[in-house]
Amino acid sequence: MDLSSEQQLEVSAPTLESSIRGLEELMVCYQQADPAAAAALIERLSPQLYRFFAAQLGARDEAGDMLQEAWMRIHRVRHTYRAGEPLLPWVYAIARRVRVDSYRKRRRIAVRERIVEPLPEPAVVKDEAGDLPSFEQLVQDLPASQREVLTLLKVNGLSLEEVARATSSSVGSVKQKAHRAYDRLRTLLSAQRTTK
Amino acid sequence: MTNREIDQILASRTSAVPTADRVKAIENFIEADLKPVRPLAPESLYLAFLAGVFVVACLASFYFIPGVNGWKVLSNLQRPAVFAPLLLSAGVLAFFLVRQMTPGAAHTRDTAAWGAGLLLLLAVLVAVLFRPQPESTFLADNVTCFIGGMKFAIPAGVATGLVLIRGAGLMPRLAGAAAGALAGLAGLAVLEIHCPILNVYHIVVAHISVVLACSIGGFFLGGVTFSRRLPK
Repeated sequence: MDLSSEQQLEVSAPTLESSIRGLEELMVCYQQADPAAAAALIERLSPQLYRFFAAQLGARDEAGDMLQEAWMRIHRVRHTYRAGEPLLPWVYAIARRVRVDSYRKRRRIAVRERIVEPLPEPAVVKDEAGDLPSFEQLVQDLPASQREVLTLLKVNGLSLEEVARATSSSVGSVKQKAHRAYDRLRTLLSAQRTTK
Repeated sequence: MTNREIDQILASRTSAVPTADRVKAIENFIEADLKPVRPLAPESLYLAFLAGVFVVACLASFYFIPGVNGWKVLSNLQRPAVFAPLLLSAGVLAFFLVRQMTPGAAHTRDTAAWGAGLLLLLAVLVAVLFRPQPESTFLADNVTCFIGGMKFAIPAGVATGLVLIRGAGLMPRLAGAAAGALAGLAGLAVLEIHCPILNVYHIVVAHISVVLACSIGGFFLGGVTFSRRLPK
């Protein structure tokens, strides 16, 4: 990745720095059983988490179930968050685990199930603002690891360092995956523009 | 098309939100079960505990096995070559174990890789620095040493596991293998201090195998024990 695109990647990522401190304080209050803090945390993090799952699955109904599962796990292991540490990598590391477990579960079920008739192709969810498909559809053709990194960076607003922590990998590896995802998306989007 | 243009396209397409009912259901569930929790202690405390477990295992061996015959027979080159990577890998593994108790902690995988690398270095150094020697009671010596090492490694492994269970490791099998390796290293340290046999085959089969056996045991036990911390 050349330096300019690398810088662009970091600069253009939606930053949540202003709200991160607030999130960490809410988490500490949540650990102390403050119901208002718990509710505020759920309100603020649920849309992000939902998009994370929806982008990975491409199916929004399953994303809702996984969101619920993620919150159950967050609640169960809330004592493992240490005050002063960044909250988002902690949350997304748990969310990632939920996604992996759900994927394994679906695979186990798929192996046992027999398809009796072909399922209809899922309809492409088009955004009202334009004729391009939704984010989930756009990233659907990317490999899972690239899709995950791109979602965390661009949808959930995590920094490169935070994504590295959430995915238990290095910053270099995250940069590489993001770069490849951009290359692939560039090709896909250019192809769509040409067809139009 | 530049990255910024792609960002703009992506930003305009991220509209998915959970239903209000779903969010309310999550809030209700959490509110119904809301109790204060004690956050994990500082990492340094857990590190000190794991170091303590290692040291206590070694010190306890002096009570059960008199003398330091193993230490005495090692040459000035062999002592640091054996104990330096042994202690270093124990330190790195302990650091990894403490780190992985918290989801999303930095450098978890790197640390595990370093620990594994140091263990490999230890095995290579043993293979290079020790020579095959005649040993009339090879099998009996191996069994005695292996059991002797395990006697100290198993309690160390149990103590390590009791600490780790407080965390929420997202890689339970890896954590179990690392905890087993750390306990096995305590057993190996005991053997290197007390066993006077310098035969390379004996060291590999009876001493280093303690680390290997504990890692494999930890791998399987970790999958069962630590993953219970993660609700299904």
